[in-house]
Amino acid sequence: MNQPPALHVEDLTVAFDSRPALWDVDLSVPEGVLMAVVGPNGAGKTTLIRAALDLIPRAAGSVRIFGEPVARARGLTGYVPQRGSVDWDFPTTVQDVVMMGLYGRLGWLRRPGAAERTRTRQALEQIGIADLATRQISQLSGGQQQRTFLARALVQDARLYFMDEPFAAVDAITERAIVALLQELRARGRTVVVVHHDLQSVPDYFDQVTLLNVEVIASGPTAEVYSEDNLRRTFGGRVAGIARLTEEALP
Amino acid sequence: MATLEALLIDLTLRVTDLQQLNAILGDPQTTALITGGLVAFAAALPGTFLLLRKLAMTTDAISHTVLLGIVLAFLLLAALPGLEADLNSPWLIFGAALAGLATVLLTGAIQRSGLVKEDAALGLVFPLLFAIAIILISRLTDDVHLDSDAVILGEIGVVWADARSHCLQDCEPVHITPDDPRAETGRRCTNCAELDIGPRDPAAEFEEYCLNCGRYTTAEAWRARLVPQAPTQVFWPRAITSMLLVALLNLAFILLFYKELKLGTFDPALAAALGLRPALLNTALMVLVSITAVAAFDAVGSVLVVAFFIIPPATAWLLSDRLAHILLLAPLGGVLASFTGYEFSRGNLLGIAQMRDLLQLLDETIGLDGFTEWNTSISAAIVLMMFLFFLLAWVFSPRQGLLLSLLQHRARRQHFAEQLLLGHVHHHQGTAEAASELAQDRLHLHLGWTPRRTQRVLMRLRLRDLVASEDGTLQLTARGERSVRRFMALRGAGGASPAGD
Repeated sequence: MNQPPALHVEDLTVAFDSRPALWDVDLSVPEGVLMAVVGPNGAGKTTLIRAALDLIPRAAGSVRIFGEPVARARGLTGYVPQRGSVDWDFPTTVQDVVMMGLYGRLGWLRRPGAAERTRTRQALEQIGIADLATRQISQLSGGQQQRTFLARALVQDARLYFMDEPFAAVDAITERAIVALLQELRARGRTVVVVHHDLQSVPDYFDQVTLLNVEVIASGPTAEVYSEDNLRRTFGGRVAGIARLTEEALP
Repeated sequence: MATLEALLIDLTLRVTDLQQLNAILGDPQTTALITGGLVAFAAALPGTFLLLRKLAMTTDAISHTVLLGIVLAFLLLAALPGLEADLNSPWLIFGAALAGLATVLLTGAIQRSGLVKEDAALGLVFPLLFAIAIILISRLTDDVHLDSDAVILGEIGVVWADARSHCLQDCEPVHITPDDPRAETGRRCTNCAELDIGPRDPAAEFEEYCLNCGRYTTAEAWRARLVPQAPTQVFWPRAITSMLLVALLNLAFILLFYKELKLGTFDPALAAALGLRPALLNTALMVLVSITAVAAFDAVGSVLVVAFFIIPPATAWLLSDRLAHILLLAPLGGVLASFTGYEFSRGNLLGIAQMRDLLQLLDETIGLDGFTEWNTSISAAIVLMMFLFFLLAWVFSPRQGLLLSLLQHRARRQHFAEQLLLGHVHHHQGTAEAASELAQDRLHLHLGWTPRRTQRVLMRLRLRDLVASEDGTLQLTARGERSVRRFMALRGAGGASPAGD
């Protein structure tokens, strides 16, 4: 039998007050790929991640992570929420936030110890923010905040990562750091599902792409599904220069 | 509860003697201090997390709606056979916790319904539950003593009066039987009523009977002089026990689940993704808030208790940006404010001044119609003191204090003025108009500053050896040149921040 896919979503419907945010979504992400989830605002991209992690109730359908139900696969998943989803005035430091990624592995009641501090240190160094370790998080720039979140995801040491708009409003240096991290994760055989906004960079950064607008329009290897036609069907012609975009980006 | 108190008495008696202990527990001042300190300590711990979760006003709602839980539990106990309805029953706490949860859940449901905006949901739910409680109290329980002052302000000054007695020695109850030597006997007429005669009538018949037979508690026996030795008793105020229990419970909860609470507060989505059940933890936190509010009810009332939850953590947050430090500072600050606040209610303002003198001064200057007696509610005085601490922290905070930002603002302005003057010298020195532009006594005309300000800035620059004057004309020193170049480089890089990063 084949290896189960990293993420397998079947017939997933999520509704808020009987208004569907996701409609009958089928999706399969093979292990070891970088997948972008692309779609207009309100397409249900964040909802897809949150439903896949069992953070919101499903109206119908099932989600399997490496063949397991989500609740049994908590140790296998890593999650990078949107930067704006937390209050950066929270009284804590960068290394503290990064260490939070280890809380799931630690389990209830256990305190982080020397081993956790070492791993935190390593992740900070790998992401290039070791010098910010003891900085209060409210004093970080947007890019530094994003890197803090990435370091936190890194210490989770997951096999499947979900990242919600990690590239949103970051500077060029941070963008390069994120791309380097994604590539390294792939090199280590990890799978990453990224909600992405910049249509231009999709073919450069991602092996696979899912075009989502409440329903899945297309999903598969970028070279096959990232076409002008599919983009038009996803965005309803609302994105200027889609034609130019795909012409330039695709060979 | 009684067992815990016995244990506490046992422990305290190892460090003090009985007489002293009873003096302490019977003293309104000491008991108020202990209770107030415990309330402040217990409330500041969950309060820190409420503040960080932006749920400050939820505390206020809960502290009111727990009343409904208490009343309903009381009525249920009274209706159920075999259970005794009693205002000290632990079941009331259970009811209060449920009411607290109901408040949070109902508020959430109304918010999600979208009928009203977020804060209005709280404003809908809590008066509703509170009003039902008030109606039930007034309709159904006429005999229960709950006066409105006590509900609003609490009665921390009289917590000593509601005490449970613990007998330590000579505690056996006394049972006097007719053949006991202590039995007193009397005679009574057996046929007087029947024959309608007086006891002096020769026909009257008499029998002997025991005057004082029966069962006595030790205290009653001592009062009736039936035992030679007074029982050794300790009167332990109930409020101290319940507040101590709640304080320990809150402390244990936060020590055990510190990590989970921290993540659940900062990033509930990640906490859920990691399987750390933030919703469950939130429920537990709300139960603790409800229990704390109920336990504090007698002491500080339902209105001011929110201050105990919120002000000390808010003060601590001004002083530190580490959660662990805030959790340490908030209870300590709360206890300190509680102690000084008690003194304040008796007219002593932090040992600096007496309120009576202050009021007299005010009476003489602006006229208070002879209102010079300072005798105020203890809990209100504590809250004022907490707020005073908050103000002090705001002014002197090393992080975002008023004083600090004023000083920084001033320093920035000074620095900018200095750089401006240096820049002016740099721009004109060595040019043809240098003699007129850089003449020391005419400089202020070029800059459009007052002569005084110009001289002040010049003085500072000279002291730091950045400018020198030659024949009344200003010139940059080598250091001054470097300073100008550094400043221009910074400005060119787009950041004119003098401190740099």
